[in-house]
Amino acid sequence: MKTMETVIEVKNLTKKYGDFVAVDHINFTINKGEVFSLLGPNGAGKTTTIGMLSTVKKPTEGDAFILGHSIVKQKYQVRKLIGVSPQDLTADDELTGYENVLIMAKLFGYRGKEAEDRSKWALEFMDLWDSAFKKVREYSGGMRRRLEVAMSIVHNPAVVFLDEPTVGLDVQSRRHIWELIRDLKKNGTTVLLTTHYMEEAEELSDRVAIIDHGKIIAMGTPDELKAKIKGDRIYVTLKGQDHMDEIIRKINDILPNSTNKVDGQILIKTESSSEFLPQLIKILSDYEVIELKVVKPNLEEVFLELTGKGLREDEGGFDRFKYMRITRGARR
Amino acid sequence: MIQEVYTLTIRELKKWLSRRGTFIVSLITPLFWLGLFGKSLNFASMFTPTNLPPQYSSLLSQYVDQQLLNLFGTTNYFTYLASGMLVVFGFFQSVFGGTNLVFEKRLGYLNRLLMTPTPRSGIFLSKVFGTLVRILFYETVLILIAYGLGFKFKPGISALNIILAGIAIILVAIGFVSIFAAIAFNVDNVEIMFAIVNLINLPLMFASSALFPLKQMPSWLQEIAKFNPITYAADIVRHNLIGTPVSNYILSWIILLVISVALFIIGMFVSINAMERS
Repeated sequence: MKTMETVIEVKNLTKKYGDFVAVDHINFTINKGEVFSLLGPNGAGKTTTIGMLSTVKKPTEGDAFILGHSIVKQKYQVRKLIGVSPQDLTADDELTGYENVLIMAKLFGYRGKEAEDRSKWALEFMDLWDSAFKKVREYSGGMRRRLEVAMSIVHNPAVVFLDEPTVGLDVQSRRHIWELIRDLKKNGTTVLLTTHYMEEAEELSDRVAIIDHGKIIAMGTPDELKAKIKGDRIYVTLKGQDHMDEIIRKINDILPNSTNKVDGQILIKTESSSEFLPQLIKILSDYEVIELKVVKPNLEEVFLELTGKGLREDEGGFDRFKYMRITRGARR
Repeated sequence: MIQEVYTLTIRELKKWLSRRGTFIVSLITPLFWLGLFGKSLNFASMFTPTNLPPQYSSLLSQYVDQQLLNLFGTTNYFTYLASGMLVVFGFFQSVFGGTNLVFEKRLGYLNRLLMTPTPRSGIFLSKVFGTLVRILFYETVLILIAYGLGFKFKPGISALNIILAGIAIILVAIGFVSIFAAIAFNVDNVEIMFAIVNLINLPLMFASSALFPLKQMPSWLQEIAKFNPITYAADIVRHNLIGTPVSNYILSWIILLVISVALFIIGMFVSINAMERS
């Protein structure tokens, strides 16, 4: 294997707001050409991490290096190397998509024809050239997200940060953005992605770091992470809770330590669901079952296994203004 | 640095031009002031005798004119007020120029700018320049409208007079756009920002010679008005456009310049500090 060039190196990066620790001594490295995801629920510290890596938030402790440049001591050099697509929709909706991208090209030092060529390239790359000269307020939610990415890749950065690039989008627009992120990777761009959608992390990433309460609790390729939960999960939902303990006892007699109660459901962990299902059905035939669900290993289950809660829980306070900002135009 | 400031200033102006509605709306307030106070508060006609014998009548209007000349330096209050409104309007526009930063912060645009290599001072300066271009444009429109409504320039007015009046307005604007940008960089809430704007706006307008001469004010208000750059700018603009005498013309320039440069430096320092912190 050829030696890989490290693009990002994060060392004990920490951010505290008073007593609250938003990011807690995280460490990871990202190699050139990799798509690396931070997967975790809202409020886990993903956006704060991006904020620090993009030099707008000052770490309380620790440091990170982008191609060897410190995000604390060499902010200016770092800013030239990164492209950030924030969670907010930041493009000016009174200007055209092209004007928005061109402003970014010029802020990164391109002039005249070169700035125009770069802008055209970025818009074409993100499938937006057809609408480049329309006012952004006429864009759909998916187009606005793509424009945000176009604005952050126009200067051909060494690494692109994508903070929740598909939040609030329909399935079709989401898949479109996923395709474009894969193209970015083919193009040799290093990508740091944050998401709370496990499908997104699983689809796109070479490696995933699962983050919760500011700490990285697991890291590896999607397959490595899925290997942490051996076998399948079976969820059983009963009508009423009366016989739950009885059923759990019966199953544990056959498969020791396999079964417990999670959120009012019975959760059975088994090496192979196909082998165990006939036995399970025999047990359950005496009871009223509403739902029986077999889940193959996925990152959502890994998160559940590690934290005891689902990715979508823990949504935290609802900031109406922030919601509007994220979904501006996304409902059309 | 120059390219960044230029790019961001052009952005401000493009946004401004794309909102044609605001152009008219922005001019409504000063026009109301001119119409309502300038035209309705017509002191000369208030004291126009209707049923006196002609020889007393002309004597009385001579007396009224003399009084107005003493008070305002012109017999035409509309002209007095309009020249003051030019300064006040520049002041209001500069305040709003700084204020809209709160929205850009809220929308995340500022954050995106901060993640680019753009110098922080460039972000601040583009705000100042964008606002100044807007003000110069509005002021030109406003003086043309005032002229149409009966504004009387002093006899023998030169291009230099007009340029000097423009510079005085720009100095006021630079000072206030800097300070309000600095406040906006430190305030996240739009409502708080507007509360601050209202708290400062009207008192600063009234505690100046923009609408009435200082000598008509109670002495405590005169003292406050002496620290108000709007007072000096209004005096300079009037001196140049309508020929009102100013007690110490050179000193007025010096004070205006010192206050504006001080506000600019403080504003820039506080703004850059706010961008670097977090």
